Amino acid sequence: MAPTATHTRPRVAVAKLASCDGCQLTLLDLEDELLDVAERFEIADFPEASSRRSPGPYDVVFVEGAVSTPEQAEQVQELRREARLLVTIGACATAGGIQALRNWADHDAFRAAVYEHPEYVESLARATPVSEHVHVDAELRGCPIDPGQLLELLTAVLLGRRPQIRDEAVCRECKRKGLVCVEVAQGIACLGPVTQSGCGALCPAYGRGCYGCFGPRRPGNAKGWSRALLAQGRPPEEVWRLFAGFTAYAEPFRAVVTELGVAKAAAGPGSPDRAGTA
Amino acid sequence: MVTSSLGTQWFLARSDLDSLVQALRADDRRVIGPTLADGAIVYDEITTAGELPAGWTDEQAPGRYRVRPSGDDHVFDYTVGPTSWKRFTFPPLLPITVADREGFTFAQPVPEIPPLAFLGVRACEVAALGIQDQVFLGGPFTDEDYRTRRGGALVVAVQCTRANATCFCSSMGTGPEVHGGHDLLLTEVAEGFVVEAGSARGSAVLERLPARQATHAEMGAAVDGVDACRSQMGEPLPMVGIQERLLAQLDHPRWAEVAERCLECGNCTMSCPTCFCTATVERSDLDGTRSTSERIWDSCFDAGFARVAGGDFRSRSRDRYRQWLTHKFGTWWRQFGSSGCVGCGRCITWCPVEIDVREELAAIAPPLPPAPEPVHVRPAAAAPGAYSVARVEAVHFETADTATLSLTELDPALLAGRPGQFAMVTLPAFSAVPISISRFRPDGIDLTIRAVGPTTTALVNLNHGARIGIRGPLGTSWPIEQAYGRHAVVVAGGVGLPPLRGLVDQLLAERSRFSSVMLFYGARTPADLLFADELKALGERDDISVALTVDRAGPEWPGRVGVVTTLFDQVSCDCARMTAFVVGPERMMQATIQTLIGRGVARDRIFVSMERHMECGIGLCGHCQMGRFFICKDGPVFRLTEIGDTFNREGI
Repeated sequence: MAPTATHTRPRVAVAKLASCDGCQLTLLDLEDELLDVAERFEIADFPEASSRRSPGPYDVVFVEGAVSTPEQAEQVQELRREARLLVTIGACATAGGIQALRNWADHDAFRAAVYEHPEYVESLARATPVSEHVHVDAELRGCPIDPGQLLELLTAVLLGRRPQIRDEAVCRECKRKGLVCVEVAQGIACLGPVTQSGCGALCPAYGRGCYGCFGPRRPGNAKGWSRALLAQGRPPEEVWRLFAGFTAYAEPFRAVVTELGVAKAAAGPGSPDRAGTA
Repeated sequence: MVTSSLGTQWFLARSDLDSLVQALRADDRRVIGPTLADGAIVYDEITTAGELPAGWTDEQAPGRYRVRPSGDDHVFDYTVGPTSWKRFTFPPLLPITVADREGFTFAQPVPEIPPLAFLGVRACEVAALGIQDQVFLGGPFTDEDYRTRRGGALVVAVQCTRANATCFCSSMGTGPEVHGGHDLLLTEVAEGFVVEAGSARGSAVLERLPARQATHAEMGAAVDGVDACRSQMGEPLPMVGIQERLLAQLDHPRWAEVAERCLECGNCTMSCPTCFCTATVERSDLDGTRSTSERIWDSCFDAGFARVAGGDFRSRSRDRYRQWLTHKFGTWWRQFGSSGCVGCGRCITWCPVEIDVREELAAIAPPLPPAPEPVHVRPAAAAPGAYSVARVEAVHFETADTATLSLTELDPALLAGRPGQFAMVTLPAFSAVPISISRFRPDGIDLTIRAVGPTTTALVNLNHGARIGIRGPLGTSWPIEQAYGRHAVVVAGGVGLPPLRGLVDQLLAERSRFSSVMLFYGARTPADLLFADELKALGERDDISVALTVDRAGPEWPGRVGVVTTLFDQVSCDCARMTAFVVGPERMMQATIQTLIGRGVARDRIFVSMERHMECGIGLCGHCQMGRFFICKDGPVFRLTEIGDTFNREGI
């Protein structure tokens, strides 16, 4: 990407699909840097922040949320047309999010269980990441995204270089911080070894296991980790629950969730998690 | 009070341990020691001895770490914690450059580095500090930040009196005794600590402690404690020659198997006290006016660690695991003069999938079978006329004119011979001929003989049960050890294969000692190939690669046609790590040698077997001279550099 001309500020839009708005809020929560960002970028369209909307095209479109409805499937095409750079932000946009758990379940049964009049609800059978629909130029992982990575991406846009997003395990951040491994020292199931870093090992720092909100590292050996967790004597339900979270639909977590889901189902109707998906 | 401390052992009561902490702090040092935090023994700043984890111990196993009360008041009754001391000498994050675009300056930040005292450094960890000294300070380029941090740190070592299941310092030669590198050395016994100074700095601290001279009983108890720790670790692992053993196994299938388990999380490299790889990341303000380069701990397990524009040199997980293990235990020796492993076991304990380097080393680079004692070979019958009698057990025709005689009921001296040697063979009324021994079996030998003269014709026409006269073994044998840890290539032309057949047997018997074993064999026609069935069987094995060629052949021959040197076109291994054994007609050997040298094989790793007319086989008849050598007793096997100019010179 070429450096932006100095006299024009890059035009930025922030859009949302099926999501909770938490990732967009990360932009507003930049606090110390927000004025700098506003000075150097033209925030052209950001309904979460302002009702003043300016039409495209845009230099950068941040897209939050998964594609969950027919309307969103059309909207994402329109966003792509308006965007020079399309950046997905958060677990929903990059991996399908928690709503993608329905991709393993009966969509109609879900709707019937939740809504009194499911016939009024138009939703797709599967919730999918934006990259299943259009080309994505960059992605920021996490639930929510990390403000440091967001700033790094904005800096990269201004400087015309690739953002430095490290492809490494959460374990690496734990170890650099001197945190004691919760898995080895306390037996807490943790997705850190197969999850991409960027969060600063937030959960392990508070004594809990990583739940993979930054999604799988690539290539990553999710299958090897699920095998090892099972070999520790953990029940398939527990391991399934670990992988079947915010980024369950991203490969290679998806393959593990599918495989363990089958194992779980085979364990019989007494299995406590069977209702958990509905 | 202590007055003269160096070399003397002192005793410090457990209740006086705080005097040590305060003496260390009195020099404005921050004291770093073991503390109990987050379910582990973590090295952190302490201000009193009361913060040390007295009464706690740890249990470590592959992928598992737990602390529990020990049931007594010992202060150091655990082994190594999750974090190594490198965190204080080699910080996980260090700003190294601050750049300013406006003034266009690059400045090196000078951090304030307070002097530290490390309290409770175990033997393996003292050794690890020494290894990182070599890495960061031992070469032409040095890490001055490390020098400052390390030089300012006072090391109070503690000898372990118990071991965990993951400990193997005794195998790496780094513990449990501390071998120098400390300022003070403590060994915990029943009522307190036996203390020794290891430096003038340490003596100065010791002189301020309320210590008294240790009794013989206390000193004995300290030795017993360390001995108990050693015996808990069991037999040391067979580490002799590990670097060569490992580097000989770059193609071992186990690399792919361990990669199936490995998560590439990098916990091993992060917790390793010697791993030193780093990456640099840039932090800048939004428009890049001011930026800071930060050096962070990196790991060779990262997918991008060896990436360049256009690709990744180690693109597979197995490549990355192999890089780590072969560096740690192998190539580190050449770079820094020691192993990169100190046996602390952290990479085993903190591996979430319980990969144990000890098991991987045993599977990938198993200990070599004990090297055979060099056999001092004496002829079974030294006098030119003294033959022993052997019986022909079987005759197998290899080609129309060449047969293998399997002999039994032999003089035991012949059975003790080595591949490459030969025997003088005769029948009554026939003159003796030198025949190379083509195989050694537990109860006999094979001679492969081509009928070219009266004696050899008579020999190949013998029947089962016939007797022959034999003298041997004679001459030199193949120096197989010259191929240890290397690619062994055997090149035969025509009837040159028999003296190499026993060598191939031996290479395969000791297969784990070699990176690869190759056999290249060329004959005039397919009908002239010796040991055809055996070659076919060898060709189906995966621990030897066999390539055949013939000079000419009819359409029924499916294989290659051409001289034996053309087979080298398919060699892809590193020829600098090759040892070659060559036998055939001299012209074929000359061509082979030129090809080998052209491909980078060292001249002193090329061995040939020479043939000359022989009457006696023991250097008395004068027939077999080649320059200064008697082929029969100085050869027939020679190192190429030994024979030098005389090789292939016409008329010698």
